[in-house]
Amino acid sequence: MTTTVSPPQARPESETQVRQNWSERLAPYAYIAPFFLIFAIFGLVPLLFTFYVALFDWNPIGEHVFVGFDNFTRLLGDTRFWNAAWNTISIWLLSTVPQLLVALLLAHLLNHARLRLALFWRMSMLVPYITSVAATTIVFAQMFDRDYGLLNWLLGLVGVGPIDFLQSGWGSHTMIAVMVAWRWFGYTTLLYLASLQAVPRTIYEAAAVDGAGAWKQFRHISIPSLRPVIVFTIVTSTIGGLQIFTEPLLVTTTSPLTCGPVRQCQTLTLFLYEQGFGQFQFGYGSAIGVALFVLIIAIASLNYVLSTRIRPERG
Amino acid sequence: MKLRRTTPVVLAAALALTAACGGGGGSAQPSGDGKSFEFWSFSGINQKKSVEDYQKANPGVQVKLTEVGGSTETAQALTTALAGGKVPDLVLIQGDDLPKFVQQPQNFQDLRQYGADKIKSDYLDWVISQSTARSGEIIGIPTDVGGMAVAYRTDLFKQAGLPTDRDEVSKLWPTWDAFIETGKKYTAATGKAFVDNAATSVFYQAVNQGPQKYYDPSGNVVYATSPQVKTAFDLAIKTAQSGITARLSSFEDGWSAAMSKGDYAVISAPSWLLEQIRNNAPDTKGKWDVAKIPGGAGNWGGSYLAIPKGAANPKAAWDYISKTQSPQGQLDHFVDSGALPTTPSAYQDPKLLGRKDPFFSDAPTGKIYTESLLGLKPFLIGPDSAAIGQEFLNAITNVEQGKGDPAKAWDTALANIKTSIGK
Repeated sequence: MTTTVSPPQARPESETQVRQNWSERLAPYAYIAPFFLIFAIFGLVPLLFTFYVALFDWNPIGEHVFVGFDNFTRLLGDTRFWNAAWNTISIWLLSTVPQLLVALLLAHLLNHARLRLALFWRMSMLVPYITSVAATTIVFAQMFDRDYGLLNWLLGLVGVGPIDFLQSGWGSHTMIAVMVAWRWFGYTTLLYLASLQAVPRTIYEAAAVDGAGAWKQFRHISIPSLRPVIVFTIVTSTIGGLQIFTEPLLVTTTSPLTCGPVRQCQTLTLFLYEQGFGQFQFGYGSAIGVALFVLIIAIASLNYVLSTRIRPERG
Repeated sequence: MKLRRTTPVVLAAALALTAACGGGGGSAQPSGDGKSFEFWSFSGINQKKSVEDYQKANPGVQVKLTEVGGSTETAQALTTALAGGKVPDLVLIQGDDLPKFVQQPQNFQDLRQYGADKIKSDYLDWVISQSTARSGEIIGIPTDVGGMAVAYRTDLFKQAGLPTDRDEVSKLWPTWDAFIETGKKYTAATGKAFVDNAATSVFYQAVNQGPQKYYDPSGNVVYATSPQVKTAFDLAIKTAQSGITARLSSFEDGWSAAMSKGDYAVISAPSWLLEQIRNNAPDTKGKWDVAKIPGGAGNWGGSYLAIPKGAANPKAAWDYISKTQSPQGQLDHFVDSGALPTTPSAYQDPKLLGRKDPFFSDAPTGKIYTESLLGLKPFLIGPDSAAIGQEFLNAITNVEQGKGDPAKAWDTALANIKTSIGK
């Protein structure tokens, strides 16, 4: 079968034509402009302003004295900063690693063909995610309470003495990590699940016919097909995890800005807030913000590089 | 053509930007209607009642009251508002947060222009002096003072074989050492904790009893050398180690729960804390009483009303201040809510002296708290007082929780304060 395709008619290059070409070329930019305009106003300008304020000794209701990089040199020698950085990384690892693993496993199970009430199970995963962070935190803080907490009551039944989660470093980190993981695992699971649903069921069926068990199917079909979305969740949870704020702020009410008497669970954002809005040192607070920005960029790129390197062999 | 069409847009945008940026400067002339004003307060201090009473007496006036949150949140919101330019007409500032604002008086209306210097003598000297800036501007009128006392559970004291009558109980602890000894007796008899914690119930009280706290009278920081601070700190560490505290930080959920359950029998209670006990543990009504504080006199807390510079309705706000914070106004508020007046002329009033609080076994709270103020030696509160106090509190709490080394606690606290405030 052969058909002759006539070449498109060359239209005369009128003035209207030129204008139309221009508007067609500009249209996409006009369509994407709203986001970039809003981003510039609410994202970029505050960001640049933060860099600017970090160079000052900036009293919000008083004087602004230019101090150059003093805030940054002070920051590097500030034990409270390193303590907050360590707490942040510790809480982030404690929450992210188990959360992603559990989500991976749950997504695989929820994707199972013979699951009854599949939609109900899938939707209920989202409940923690849509619950207010403040509500979640208050409930968990009460569960972990030393004297009146549900958890210590249960531990007491099996003869383990009451654990003061909030007062110890590891205890408070675990407590906050549990809250963070609980809030996010459903969201991550659904992301994985959506990606898994795109995998043709026939592949699993073929594998089953070939004698591959559940574990082999999980390893050799589910995980490789999830690779892009795994990279995505690792990057986003890094950014989110390093900015943990509400949970440590709300677990203690007496010294909320330090998250405990020895800053045992003070995260970087909380330290930033303490300096900026607790002690009104906007300059120093901004310097912490810049440091956090750099840290997030560094860890996120490292993550990205590592997770894209770990490629499955493609045959 | 093109240029002509875009110029107005660019101009408009530029104007909008400059207008938005210029907002911070604040317009010079207030354009208020004099009939309504916006008031930021913090919760737990019952300003609602005061506003309701004022509106009843002045029917034409609209007060838009916002309870921003705790006292710290309110001060933070005010700072942000002052920096941004959109301010309320009237704001309540807690005593510890006040010095930061007094140091920047240009952000507030000088209340002398409304005659504050003429009524200045109505208020306790040392209280009004805290809201007076270096060059004489008065930026706040004091609404209440703390005054100190100890609230205790008569039923639990009885079980422990201790006296329950408030005069006899006061005699149990003329000093803080005697207070700790009483605590040991109580704990030995009942096996339960005596006091809620060492940091607020002992340190915050004892450190407020004397002439020189964290600053000397000329405004230099002396927290490291002030004997008053060291003595109070040592007392708190001793309390923390003696095993008589419930190790519950004030205002935490566990602290409130333990209050209703009777897990501690004693709590140091500035006058404003009585309201919190009533709210936290309503079922314990009649089981409490109020005795004198060890060491006799002292003050913790108190608040001020101030009008920001950029307020739209400063006159309406001042009318509220002058009517509600007059000696008579403060006395009325005391009768309603128990907040202790800052106007000494009210201290002799039978309404104040005769007030009995049924929740606290009919304790004459007006009499007890004013007595604690009369022997008081005032001290200067500085811009970093709150931060310094917080670090001391943290060090004590850490020892109390069994994590910190009591021998090193003082040095740790000093080092942390130095990092925190830079001096």
